[in-house]
Parts: sequence; structure tokens; C-alpha cells
Amino acid sequence: MDELRRMRPLLGTYVEVSARGPTAATGPAVAAAFHRIEEAQRLWSFHAPDSDLSRLNGARGKAVTLHPQTLRLLRLARALTAASGSRFNCTLGGALVRRGALPDHDHGAMLDRGTAEDIEIESDRARLRRPVRLTLDGLAKGYAVDLAVRALRKTGMVAGWVNAGGDLRVFGDVVLPVHRREIDGRMTSLGGLRDAALASSLVRRRSDTDDPSFPALIVGTDNVSPAAGVWTVLARSAWRADALTKVASIAAPQHRASLVARLGGHLIESKTE
Amino acid sequence: MKTHDWAALLLPTIALVSPVYATDYLSVPQAQRQLFPEAQVFLDAPLSLTSEQRDRIKSLSGLRQRWDEQKIWRAEKEGKLQGWFIVDDVIGKHEFITYAAAISPEGRVLGIEILSYRETHGGQIREPGWRKHFMGKTLADPFKLDEDVPNISGATLSCRNVLDGVKRLLALHKLFLVNG
Repeated sequence: MDELRRMRPLLGTYVEVSARGPTAATGPAVAAAFHRIEEAQRLWSFHAPDSDLSRLNGARGKAVTLHPQTLRLLRLARALTAASGSRFNCTLGGALVRRGALPDHDHGAMLDRGTAEDIEIESDRARLRRPVRLTLDGLAKGYAVDLAVRALRKTGMVAGWVNAGGDLRVFGDVVLPVHRREIDGRMTSLGGLRDAALASSLVRRRSDTDDPSFPALIVGTDNVSPAAGVWTVLARSAWRADALTKVASIAAPQHRASLVARLGGHLIESKTE
Repeated sequence: MKTHDWAALLLPTIALVSPVYATDYLSVPQAQRQLFPEAQVFLDAPLSLTSEQRDRIKSLSGLRQRWDEQKIWRAEKEGKLQGWFIVDDVIGKHEFITYAAAISPEGRVLGIEILSYRETHGGQIREPGWRKHFMGKTLADPFKLDEDVPNISGATLSCRNVLDGVKRLLALHKLFLVNG
């Protein structure tokens, strides 16, 4: 038995893979996990003009044949967009492009945002009913973490974790201490994570200046701006934890925890002053 | 929807909050073997750069070449060049990273591996004896699960600094290594 730990720059952040298993298998297992993450990057990058996502966004309403994992991810994104009342919204790529936060691939007419109904998914293809721009950034990193964990398990690893810039999933007989970076930069201890996933999103206070080291952006719904704070969600899968941090930041304070719970996660409250 | 016992998934731990997060992943020889598995030998070929040469790297890549000396090795098999193994440092606002890039003879990136990762944070150092809680993991330490280096969640730290570093190294390669 051996443990192997590696880190690579992927998905716009630093991705760490840790695996414990039979000595000869740990190297190939870690390689397989990173391979899944590289594939996720290729398929779902909004920046890459030839990713599955960009091909779908640029198809001007025509159906596009997509990778099976893309279709799975679209189904999850659409379902959560609907179930969360669009608090999680994978169709607001247009708003982000107009803001300059995402590149404009010049695919023609563009709506700021849409709804779950704009996404039509068949067995091997999908199309957009209106000119919305999908962005999968809200859950793709978590989903890539889940795929990487699955690859580690499939190659015989008995324990380990994958941490993609704070989107973290732990499996097997290990308890991983987790600290959270708070809004003022300080670290607080969240506890020891076991057999679950955890994700956090930072929403800056209006008074704070942007720090280009942390470029992520959460956009609210029409009437609601995201609340400042660091929002952490615990869930069984990393895609869900990732996606629900967005819901947590946008939900009204009195409904936040219950809404996250209804959608299958557990909110760890923000430590703001 | 099945409710989970969330308390069983996030256990209370002793809160040792260290100001620096550190992990060493690979030594230089390990990273060489990882990035060039077919290579038989790695020849030390460091580059010393004049300020004029550093300016040319900046013009080509848009990025500043901080170091006068760049640590470079030729990866060779049976006397033939397989590519270049280059070690570089990133000193970011929040992070200090040593990484290695493998570049093919034609100037294609073959792989990137982080050798060591250190993340710091603003905010006060809480305890006077903080050094003893320094939770660095070196390669000599066995992984003890209870004392494992804490992982960090929070806003996503961009890896832009390493990607820019690689972009700069590609310019360095194009200017000074291609005919090497």
C-alpha cells in the first residue's frame, strides 16, 4: 500500500489528487484522475472555441452531437436551474459576456439569461431553443472532481481525495482536515471531511477591491445581488456542493439553509462580521 | 430526498490553524522521470541571461523574466534530444510555487508538474509558537492521516501565474533553446 499526491494547474486553478492503494497502481490511478480533469477542461471550457460547450452555444439553435458526459452534465445543470428557481442558472453566460467576464465568441444574437426550458436534450445531442449562452462554470469543476474520484476508485484506490481549487471530495478511509479562507484572508477550521464533498464560493463586499488572484464571479437574479461572504456547502457529490454554493449566495437569508437542504446539500454558515 | 447525517461527514477536529500551507510533491529527479519517462539522461544546461536577453523574453511573451539564471536540463535518449525540462518559481500574492515544465524540441508543452506549493494568507499569525504547527509535508514524511496537511476551501485561487510562467518559458525556448 502506498500514498501518492500530485498537483497540476488545471481548470483555471491548482488541482491536487491524492490516492492510497496498491503501490504499483497509485501512479496510473493519479494519471487517470488527471486525464479525466483534462478531458473536462477540453469539453466544458467557455473560453475554448471548440469545446462541446462552445459548439452548443454557437450552433444558432441547431442540434449538436455531444460527448455523453456533456449530456449528463447538461441534464444536471438544467435540473438544478429548474429546481432552484433559477438561483442556480446555467443560462446566464450572456450576462457574463456583456460584463466582460467571459469572452465573446461572436455567435450572433445573445440573451443575457434564460431558463431551464431553453435547453433541449436528446440521447446523443442537445440544442438551445433561444439564443442563450450556457456556462457550466457553476458546476463543471465539481463534476470534474467527481469524475476524477471515480477514476481513482476504478483503478483500485481505497482512499483519497481530489481538490480543485477548493472544490473538494474525499473518499475511503480517510478524514481530511479542511480549512476555509475567509473574506478577510484568515483561515478557519471547518472540521475533518469524510466520504463527502465540500465547496466554497467567495462573494466580495462592495467595499472590497477585486483581487485578480481570485477571479470568479457570481451573478444574481434580476432583483437579488449575491450576499457578501464565503459560502460553503457540504454534499455527497462535488458537482452538487459546487452548484449549491451559488444558490446559497443568492438565496434570501431566512431561506438559505433550508433551500440548500431541499436541494440535497448542507450549508455551513458564512463567518462575516 | 434522503437526509444525511451531515455530522458524520464533517467531523470536529482540533483547530490547528497554521499561517502557511505547504506540500512538496516531487523532487527534481522525480519530476524529470515523470515528465520524460523515456529519457535516459538529464544534462544540466542552465541558462544565464543578460538584461538584454531578459528584455527580449519580455518583448516576445509580454511577461517579465525575473531570474538571471534559469534551471534547465536536456532530456536525452541515445544521444537524441527528447526535450527540455525547466524548473521555475512563481511568487504570487498568495502563493509560492515551484513547478517544472517539459517542452518538446519544437516548443510544445508536454507537461507541467507542481514540485512544491506554498500558500500564505493575510491576517495575523495567531500563536507565538506558530512554527511548531507548520504543517509542511516533505517527501521524507510518511503520510499520517490524522495529521495530514489541511486542505483549503474558499475562493478559487487562479493558476494564471503558473500558466503565464509556462508562456514565458516557451518564449525563452524559442529565443535561446531551439538551436541548442
